Amino acid sequence: MFLSPDHELIRETARDFALQRVAPGVRERDEAEAFPHDLIPELADMGFLGIYHPTEYGGAGYDTLAFCLVIEEIARWDASLALTIASHTSLGSGHIALAGTHEQKERWLTPLAQGKVLAGWGLTEAGSGSDASGMKTTAVRDGAGWVLNGSKMFITQGSVGGVFVILAVTDRSKGAKGVTAFVVEAGTPGFSHGPKFHKLGMNSSDTRELRFEDVRIPDANRLGDLGMGFVDTMKVLDGGRIGIAALGVGLIRGALEESVSYAKQRSQFGSPIGDFQAIRFKMSDMDMWMEAGRALTHRAAQLKDAGRPHTREASIAKLYTSEHATKAALEAIQIHGGYGYTKEYHPERFLRDAKLLEIGEGTSEVQRMVIGKKLMG
Amino acid sequence: MIRFLGIFRLLKIAKKSAFRMNFIVCIKQVPDVSAPVSIRDGHLQTDSDRMVLNAYDASAVEEALVLTEKHGGRVDVVLIGPEKAKETIRKALAMGAEAGFHIPVEDGAGYDSAGYAAILAAFLKTHSYDAILTGKQSQDTDSGLAGGMLADRLGLPYAANAVGLELEGNALLVKRQGDTAQEMVLVPLPGVVTCSNDMNNPRIPSLKGIMASKKKEVTTVSPAELGLDAAALKPATVVTGYRNVPARNPGKKFEADAEELARTLVGLLQNEAKVI
Ligand SMILES: Cc1cc2nc3c(=O)[nH]c(=O)nc-3n(C[C@H](O)[C@H](O)[C@H](O)COP(=O)(O)OP(=O)(O)OC[C@H]3O[C@@H](n4cnc5c(N)ncnc54)[C@H](O)[C@@H]3O)c2cc1C
Repeated sequence: MFLSPDHELIRETARDFALQRVAPGVRERDEAEAFPHDLIPELADMGFLGIYHPTEYGGAGYDTLAFCLVIEEIARWDASLALTIASHTSLGSGHIALAGTHEQKERWLTPLAQGKVLAGWGLTEAGSGSDASGMKTTAVRDGAGWVLNGSKMFITQGSVGGVFVILAVTDRSKGAKGVTAFVVEAGTPGFSHGPKFHKLGMNSSDTRELRFEDVRIPDANRLGDLGMGFVDTMKVLDGGRIGIAALGVGLIRGALEESVSYAKQRSQFGSPIGDFQAIRFKMSDMDMWMEAGRALTHRAAQLKDAGRPHTREASIAKLYTSEHATKAALEAIQIHGGYGYTKEYHPERFLRDAKLLEIGEGTSEVQRMVIGKKLMG
Repeated sequence: MIRFLGIFRLLKIAKKSAFRMNFIVCIKQVPDVSAPVSIRDGHLQTDSDRMVLNAYDASAVEEALVLTEKHGGRVDVVLIGPEKAKETIRKALAMGAEAGFHIPVEDGAGYDSAGYAAILAAFLKTHSYDAILTGKQSQDTDSGLAGGMLADRLGLPYAANAVGLELEGNALLVKRQGDTAQEMVLVPLPGVVTCSNDMNNPRIPSLKGIMASKKKEVTTVSPAELGLDAAALKPATVVTGYRNVPARNPGKKFEADAEELARTLVGLLQNEAKVI
């Protein structure tokens, strides 16, 4: 597969941006668990916060493939920032783009895609993760509007987001068909977030618990039809997983590029360690994982862009790249020896960041369940 | 011999006119110099097929954009190269240039700086502009000749290696960097200025810019249309091959106490280097 000149230009642009603006300070941001507030307006100016949303609603009007290219380039240096962009674009904004009315898109998608506001998306709860249908958060009719009660766990952009899409039970008796999506804006009375989670990795991405105590919202904030929340969620996740897959490709590439440059300059036994077959073979494997992962990811993206089914392909891409990102990071640490075990070098962060990809937006086990279901019907 | 025409020492011109500048920037596509390059059998081997906008030309485009954003006017770009090099025109258009001109030549046509200057001069005689900017050299060959040769062919005033540009009345104030001070040169217009990459940080095009560049016009002008005779463009110089610089022999290292070291050193300077 070859990229069009447009996509080549987008990739070059994202690469230059990542190198000049994202790479500097990445270790410090990780160490300080600092959300990069000052980079957000720059990402907005570049058009990176609404890559595939329509220009009509403030987006850049490109496609999922372009989105994958940008995510890969950013994740090459800073997976936390790539997670911020990917979750903002494909989950929160993505759900509004998928299920919102024209008025809802004008009101919320436009500032989100322009990058003026960040989006969060709340599905997971303390008691329901892989089995999201076990959620307890409720939305109860109250005159012309709704009242939300409950909480959501591990929500990306929990304290930095301005617009949240929240899944809540509207009819317990209907099971998965009784879940509906709602838009809740930050600052709505009764809506709050918990303290910062201290995580293994993805440290400069913001992860919080969200709490809802008698949060009143009008019916105009209901996203999609009553009871369609779960069905839409599955579609949103198909898109989201392509973003995670691209993130994995970026991490594999980071592990590979750091390894190659280290293997050229580190000498032992009188020659660069890259001359040893044992080291070279590790890097050859990483190169293969990167190419294979990218091919899977771009294929899933192109299917989505063509409006064709892509659930299976998105799951396969996400599963493959996330597991290989962790492997590649481990190999990069091994190639760096003792230096790789320190925070002076990138690979240890790659490992900590990569592990999230095997958990978020459906664990590896869940991906295998999705793929298996497609096989067995 | 290149004639340096009409370069004046700066005489401060107080009056600033509302002059709208039309720039044409000559740009080139070059192999990504950050990709590994090796030499085999006298030929250059590039590992990557990544081609990029010459960094010095990118600075020239950036500076032209900054000046027109400040004073009004427009920026066009012209590129000589194979079909693939059109990508680089797109990049300049995505940065904000308004129109592009592509002069197609075969990949590996093998022109030297004089050839490029001759083609550019023929094209520019058909084009209207106030100032011609280009990079001070191209990253691949580092010859640094085309700008001066172009000025010579067009009979225009010329300043090389600018690190800053300002519009002064209807002339360009060119800043050139020396070791300890800056030289200010006033170039009357129309004129030619070549730009250093120390001049600015070229902007990275946004997705909006890339989208907008699709609608901008890229006009193809063949060398034949410019009345150029291919034979006349044949390079007078020929690159006969490439070779690696022989690795330097590593220096000698001695470890001993000071007295012993001094004795060794004096011995070497007397007997080997024969300098004392
Ligand atoms: C940094 C971070 C950011 C996140 N961001 C968001 C967000 O923005 N929005 C959001 O809604 N959620 C978010 N999540 C939540 C994430 O999607 C969940 O953590 C994930 O889906 C797993 O759910 P769980 O943690 O409850 O694990 P569990 O579901 O409890 O799983 C525990 C283990 O059991 C396995 N398991 C579960 N069921 C089965 C089964 N049937 N067969 C085999 N194995 C099984 C799992 O694979 C896993 O290994 C985020 C999580 C993290 C860590």
